[in-house]
Amino acid sequence: MSEVKGNRILAVCSGCSIGKALDVEQLVQTIGGENEGLYCMQHPALCSEAGVQQLQGVIEENTAGSVAVAACSPRVKVEQFRFDGSYIERVNLREQVAWVMDDGDEDTQTCAEDQVRMALAKLGSIKDVKPYIPENLSSEILVVGGGISGLHAAIEGAEAGYRVHLLEKGNRLGGYAGRIHRLLPDPGKKMELRDPDIKLLSDRVEAHDGIDVYLESTVAGIEGEPGNFKVRLENVEKTNLTVGSVVLSTGWKPYKADNLSYLGYGQKGVLTLEEFEKHVEIDRVPDRVMFILCAGSRDKDHLPYCSSYCCTAALKQALYVREKNPNAQVYLVYRDIRTTGFQEGFYKMVQEDDAIFLTKGSIASVVSKDDVLQVIVKDSLLDDEVLIESEMVVLASGMVPNSSDELNLNYRLGKGIPQIEYDFSDSHFICFPYETRRTGIYASGTVRAPMDMESSAEDGAGAMMKAIQCVESVKRGEAVHPRSGDMTWPELYMERCTDCKRCTEECPFGAYDETEKGTPLPNPARCRRCGICVGSCPERVIGFSDYSINSVSAMIKSVSMPDEFDEKPRVLVFVCENDAYPALDAAGLHRLAYSPYVRIIPVRCLGSVNKVWISDALSHGYDGILQIGCKPGDDYQCHFIHGSELTEQRGENMQETLETMMLETERIQTSFVEITDHHKITEIINEYMEVLEDIGPNPFKSM
Amino acid sequence: MRLIKPDIEFKRELGQLSGSQLNQCMQCGNCSAVCSLAPDDRPFPRKEMIWSGWGMKDRLVGNVDIWLCHQCGDCSSYCPRDVKPADVIAAVRQKTYEHYMRPRFLSKIVSKPSLLPLALAIPVAVIIAILSMAGTFKIPAGPVDYSAFFPHAWLNSTFTTITVLFYALASWGIGSFWKDMKRNTPSPQGEKGRVPVFKVLGEILSHANFSGCGSQKVRKYAHMLVFFGFALLILVTLYAIWASITHNYPLPLSHPFKIAGNVASLMIYCGLGIMIFHRLVNKSVFGKSGYTDWLLLIAIAVLTLSGSLVQMARFGNWDLAYHLYFFHLVVVWFVIMYLPFTKLGHVFYRTTALFYARSIGRK
Repeated sequence: MSEVKGNRILAVCSGCSIGKALDVEQLVQTIGGENEGLYCMQHPALCSEAGVQQLQGVIEENTAGSVAVAACSPRVKVEQFRFDGSYIERVNLREQVAWVMDDGDEDTQTCAEDQVRMALAKLGSIKDVKPYIPENLSSEILVVGGGISGLHAAIEGAEAGYRVHLLEKGNRLGGYAGRIHRLLPDPGKKMELRDPDIKLLSDRVEAHDGIDVYLESTVAGIEGEPGNFKVRLENVEKTNLTVGSVVLSTGWKPYKADNLSYLGYGQKGVLTLEEFEKHVEIDRVPDRVMFILCAGSRDKDHLPYCSSYCCTAALKQALYVREKNPNAQVYLVYRDIRTTGFQEGFYKMVQEDDAIFLTKGSIASVVSKDDVLQVIVKDSLLDDEVLIESEMVVLASGMVPNSSDELNLNYRLGKGIPQIEYDFSDSHFICFPYETRRTGIYASGTVRAPMDMESSAEDGAGAMMKAIQCVESVKRGEAVHPRSGDMTWPELYMERCTDCKRCTEECPFGAYDETEKGTPLPNPARCRRCGICVGSCPERVIGFSDYSINSVSAMIKSVSMPDEFDEKPRVLVFVCENDAYPALDAAGLHRLAYSPYVRIIPVRCLGSVNKVWISDALSHGYDGILQIGCKPGDDYQCHFIHGSELTEQRGENMQETLETMMLETERIQTSFVEITDHHKITEIINEYMEVLEDIGPNPFKSM
Repeated sequence: MRLIKPDIEFKRELGQLSGSQLNQCMQCGNCSAVCSLAPDDRPFPRKEMIWSGWGMKDRLVGNVDIWLCHQCGDCSSYCPRDVKPADVIAAVRQKTYEHYMRPRFLSKIVSKPSLLPLALAIPVAVIIAILSMAGTFKIPAGPVDYSAFFPHAWLNSTFTTITVLFYALASWGIGSFWKDMKRNTPSPQGEKGRVPVFKVLGEILSHANFSGCGSQKVRKYAHMLVFFGFALLILVTLYAIWASITHNYPLPLSHPFKIAGNVASLMIYCGLGIMIFHRLVNKSVFGKSGYTDWLLLIAIAVLTLSGSLVQMARFGNWDLAYHLYFFHLVVVWFVIMYLPFTKLGHVFYRTTALFYARSIGRK
């Protein structure tokens, strides 16, 4: 890594009320005076065509390697302030100074000056970016699982021009979709059940030149990183593959029916949906059939979640009953009918059959008596408690995802994919579908979330698009997500590493393996660039070219520190750039005022905050440190899974450190917000200022 | 605990009568929420809708709540699934008449338009038989004198006997209806409730419950006109019978009872006019107006109209007076004898149900 070459430039914009809140002339003079040889320019509308042209000219004239653009938030005007060959650091004078602090106030001016100082300090300590590109790059993609989702993934990948290897454990393609009797109506087409059509798709896949199908094959091991995964297959040929990315579509299995004895399973005439699917093919259907929905679903003792397909499947099977035995009556006892999307139309179609009777209710007991099943239904819409007789009871039980351990990843952190709640192999279910917590491996279909066939098919295509994006990003040395396009990557100064393995343990994405001697072995292409390892390392040997222990320390120390008798406190605010920073920008848009004593440093993730930055800040004289990140927890908003959680854990250690330094523990506070919490975030800051007022200035201030 | 055995035939009949897709009811309960008459405890018609969907005949035909409804149509107007609870209730009422009324074939023949000729043929045949027995089955000469055609003694004795016979059968059905209501909706306290006769009569006469119906305010006045008009006509008829026995009949046009009868006819015309107009115009509120709806309205209209014509024919000495009189008697039979089997049966069932409901404190 080498220093960024060329001169530094400061460009200040006075548009969008920045010029009204600040004395820009004064700002430029002060900063210019502090930095010898710094070229400073100002413009009333820097993002205008004229402004950008002027800045472009200044960059060329001064052979500038880096530019501090003091204007609006880095989240806006990205295209305008992109200059090839120059590193751009944005100073957010608009949303986070001018719009939230008093116009013309001395403290506002100082805040702006400090924010510019921090940017310049950062520019003085960053290195040139040299992208990481793995050797032996492969653009081929492995799809594990030949069900409906895997088949769709394979065909989409091959049609897009990528060689696809499709792996299937069984001896035929089609998965669950290949075992069902009839399909739901096509949305928008004729409302009637259709014959299964999975064969058309699997034939297409088998005939496709771009797809290699491996039947009766499993994964014996995967090692390497995106762009260069070495895959060993367990099959007759013992095939070895090198692929760029992987789609995991291993599907689901039905919930264990033996656990449903409380609904009569085990008695004659009580079947599951899967069993009934087979039963209608081969056997007669009695005159009365009852379907019990939510069998062992949305139940904390069984599957606590909704599998989203069982209502529709039961409604479909109700039609099987009517098709096979026109004299039959069907009773459906549901908790809530959950027919999503187009399935609502199907629900209405089923309702047209007047021999299908539906009621909400819960099952008290199912008892077989003289070959008739007597079902007691409680809390039904019909009455408080009723008895219904039926010759057959079908239990609509839910989906259990198959284990991702089948991937046999040769990773230090385990052979499967870390799972979210309920064992689904998904990552961030709201913002980043298909993403798993193993970069380059994308989950599709029911292995990641309960869903029906239509969604599984769509999902396969979606996951394949991510797999392609991954292959292409790795080729350019870029991160896939959420920092798409980021070319920096963690570099380790191994000479000082003590093999404490904290980075390998704390990396949420398993980017670190270890050598035989136990030394961390980074796989940079697996990295999401969150910087959690930067925060984890007690020896401070991990850094990115533009985000390192030194660069942030330099920013912290560049802030001017008034002495303790000025009664002007200074609070360092580490703001997670994913949700907290946008929330702070939104606070600016809403002109929600907060204290001008804050100095804001955006961080890649709260988990990337290294302890040394805290002690640097305290010894530099900051009165308090506020860390604001995304919400932790199972339904997390944290973009890097457990960065916020780690901050909480580390916070406990930090409290001890504060106590040994004889400092009040309140001097460090960690808060969590959601991206929409712009009201809350300003309250957090202002309330924290009150706390600080009570405990007084940092005693280290004047040392 | 009750065993549920869905009666699919009953469900299909309800569906046909009401024109409702019963399965499409999603049991949201909007109907019960908007109903101004539904009691707070187990309100209707939400539960009646699913019982209909499950073909639970025993719950529905002996159900007190079905009769608390005033058919205002609020539930149907606000139904998000368009399953027309008001029409379903009307259909259940129709099935109730059929279930309790004897002889059962009479409920059949008044419920289908194809059997209307048969329904009319019965009174025609019976009246011809009576006239033949009286030996007066021919057009009399001279000024119009209806007693010459149908002697008062014959008329009074036969029609009264037949009416009493029919209503005795009807009250037997009403008795089973009362028992079924008791079984389906027992008194909440288990105690034997007192039947508040005067309170219920007051409720009926004042039409108080009509006022709550949001969809059609004017129905209250239309029903009042027909109700009191009809009641007045019955009174006039009773007086006429008494007069024909004790002193001179027919009455002159200036006689107070004759005037009352004509005022009553006028009230019925007005009331029926409003009802028919609304059925034709407010289709969205009434839903499908079925055969039984129209049969009731038209039968009363024809009854009143033919009565007026018969009166005019007498004073005007029309040639067709006796034909009209014959026709009027057929319609009288039609309305009076078939009354408990048609929609007009609500006169008995609703009143009975109201007595029961109020006796167990259900309101």
